[in-house]
Amino acid sequence: MRTSPGAAPLPALAMVLVLSLAAHSFAIQENQAGVEELKKTALKVYLDCDSCDLEYIKTEITFVNYVRDRLEAQVHILVTSQATGGGGVEYTLTFIGQNDLKGASDVQKSFSTKSDTDDDVRRGLVKTLKLGLMSFVGRTPISKRIAVDYAPPDKALPGRDRWNFWVFSLSGSGYFSGEESYNDHYLDFSISANRVTPGSKVRLGVSVDTSKTKYEIEDEIITGTKSSWAGSGLFVKSLGEHWSAGAYVEAESSLYRNIDLGMSVAPAVEYNFFPYSESTRRQLRALYKLALNPVKYREATVYGKMRETLLKEALSLTLDLREKWGTVSLSAAGSHYFHDLSKYRVDTFAYLSLRLYKGLSIYILGSQTWTHDQLSLVGRELTFEERLLRLRQLPTVSDYYFAFGFQFQFGSIFANVINPRFGSVGASGMQISVN
Amino acid sequence: MKKRSVGRAVLFTILVLFPAGLMGAQAPSSRPAEPPPPSLPRVFLDWPGADVAFFRTEIPFVEFVSGLEEAQVRVFVMPQGPPESEKFSLEFSGLKGFQGDDNTLPYVPDPGAKPEDVTRGIVGVVKIGLLRYAAKTPAAKDLSVRFLDQAKPTSVVDKWDFWVFSLSASTFLMGETQYRTELYSGSVSANRITPELKIQTSVYGNREDYWFDLGDGEIYESSSHGYGFSGLAVKSLSEHWSAGAFLSAKSSTYYNLKLSATIAPAVEYNVFPYDESTKRQFRILYRIGYTGTRYHEETIFFKTSEVLLQESLSWAYEVKRPWGTISLKLEGSHFFHDLSKNRVELSAEADVRIWKGLSFDLYGRYSRVRDQLGLPRGGASYEEVLLRQKQLATDYDYYISIGLNFTFGSTRSSVVNPRFGNGGRSISISM
Repeated sequence: MRTSPGAAPLPALAMVLVLSLAAHSFAIQENQAGVEELKKTALKVYLDCDSCDLEYIKTEITFVNYVRDRLEAQVHILVTSQATGGGGVEYTLTFIGQNDLKGASDVQKSFSTKSDTDDDVRRGLVKTLKLGLMSFVGRTPISKRIAVDYAPPDKALPGRDRWNFWVFSLSGSGYFSGEESYNDHYLDFSISANRVTPGSKVRLGVSVDTSKTKYEIEDEIITGTKSSWAGSGLFVKSLGEHWSAGAYVEAESSLYRNIDLGMSVAPAVEYNFFPYSESTRRQLRALYKLALNPVKYREATVYGKMRETLLKEALSLTLDLREKWGTVSLSAAGSHYFHDLSKYRVDTFAYLSLRLYKGLSIYILGSQTWTHDQLSLVGRELTFEERLLRLRQLPTVSDYYFAFGFQFQFGSIFANVINPRFGSVGASGMQISVN
Repeated sequence: MKKRSVGRAVLFTILVLFPAGLMGAQAPSSRPAEPPPPSLPRVFLDWPGADVAFFRTEIPFVEFVSGLEEAQVRVFVMPQGPPESEKFSLEFSGLKGFQGDDNTLPYVPDPGAKPEDVTRGIVGVVKIGLLRYAAKTPAAKDLSVRFLDQAKPTSVVDKWDFWVFSLSASTFLMGETQYRTELYSGSVSANRITPELKIQTSVYGNREDYWFDLGDGEIYESSSHGYGFSGLAVKSLSEHWSAGAFLSAKSSTYYNLKLSATIAPAVEYNVFPYDESTKRQFRILYRIGYTGTRYHEETIFFKTSEVLLQESLSWAYEVKRPWGTISLKLEGSHFFHDLSKNRVELSAEADVRIWKGLSFDLYGRYSRVRDQLGLPRGGASYEEVLLRQKQLATDYDYYISIGLNFTFGSTRSSVVNPRFGNGGRSISISM
């Protein structure tokens, strides 16, 4: 069994290579099998977020299992959002431990700015989600396969804010649609300047819009035009965790509402029954406003007026709750003019979206308005087109809308899979979103 | 008239901006003191005899301090059980600014692990446990969490074998004294989606009723409805190829369809691998199928029913990157019995940040329509035209919406101030 010394190294080397390759691929296979096994015991997460790019999150974070129903989850992640002073969004991620992780919790925040793209927003959310999830994933064996990298900055933090919290924004948009016998266009432009700090809030804005609709029916052309502009200012001073005081200043002109120029100055005061710091999850706000409103009409009103100065008071109550079991939003507002107490209006609004039981969720959306204060209605008879195309405000004493829906889901609780092939089909039914 | 309004708008802007200017000038004196930017979280490791230097090198995103007084986080390592099968409980307690921010993580060493392996394991768990605190400091932006493996999304124990069933119904009612509208819709669906096979089926129905009081006792009422079935089955062939079929049946008063059933096999090629689809995709889909239709009313081509063969090809390109999102879609189709009966549709969507605070968005769609085989000979009434309740003869239809936004000013504007509300509620309803 003696081979020549020169021949031996080559087959031996090959053998070693093959063996080590086999061992290596075997290790990978075993490792892979191990990971699939670890995935079975991975953290069960219910991601409760309407505005998130769920497909992206599920592709980027694969060390947890996503479930379809909140009661199945070990962690319920409630994502709520609020507008920031700069026109961006503050996302609050509330991690709530459930089932065997009951009692564990955390709150993390992620911020976006107004000029952030969709990709910036979703990457920011994924980072915050990952960091927040680790406190829970740390209890599952899969955490052994997670690495944390830290690349410290070599540069100090940016200097002071020379804009002193002021944020300015200019926006314009246009919308055009049409067919041979129908076309529609709409244009708007707005400018805003905002300064928001915890102590005070200033919001100023001016907007202009115009729209035109054209129909061609049997060689007859029907055109409908609407245009309006408005300017508004809001000044609010914070007075502790529950009180605020401020004023609204507004001016407007609207063809639809027969207003040539309407101005309004309204001091106001607000009380929040919950502390303002909890506002992303719960608020119950009562706002009182007293408004002085000089107005000039385009055409004589049903009351024969061309101009008048009105004094009005308004009270509104708003409740917003965002909990594990769903969303509740209720509001009621009433106002009346002082010169004639029978000129009043009442607005009510309710939205409830509840996850009642495993797989079953319902929503109810409703609003009812009693209107007895249409002081600007046009005095003359409206044309057929003005009515049908709703170019002018019509007299009404009440209007309402009501929506109700339910969804019942059963079957697999897992929602891990993303399959983009052929896109997606099927009727999604009615989609309602309330912001 | 218009000119005068604009003149007033300008005057008003000046009036409104003037007091604002004053407020801005006063602001620095009453400016709320911003909290100083917190540096790395200060951690006290409560584990007598621990090699703190090793913790320092392994966990660089916190600062280990020697006393509890200066610490923001206390990590208490508590051994449990007998020495031969020792377990550890790691208690993280938030102090100072992190008051109330507590967590406990277990650590169970592998059987027969050497003491240095145990220390390494504990360091690993401490590192993971401290991330929740680091995430609340500016260090968060320099941290990243990586999963070292790829786990299949289907590696779960699922007694339903990925089937999800859903029943839903909704209604929307709206009205005023002289106007009412009612919408109803419902659907039942059964879906099974895995990376290898996608099955989506649903049965749906909807109905819309309108009521107008046109004055002088004249009332106009109308109703339209649609219902149908849709199904899709797709088999994944490779990272780039898929094959499957569409199956559908529908009835619609808007399209003059009493019943229309389609079966269409299809094949798709994605230029990019499918697993990059949330970042970029370029899908080319070819489908060919038979459609059998019975019309409500006789069509302009004097047909009450027909069976036709149609083919279509579509290109869909979509990219979502830090600079923005772009999606383009081009689709063409034609019938075989008469090649002049065809349709071309182009749609584009873009939301792009051009430069710092300047962003641009566009949504547009254009169709050249030469295949309206279902148009009723009877046409549509005056009211049906104005309320868009019947499909009308057209050669094209388009929709474009564009917007430009420029924001500048403070970059420290992530302050939330919910007082007096954040503007009105917006409700959107789509069918």
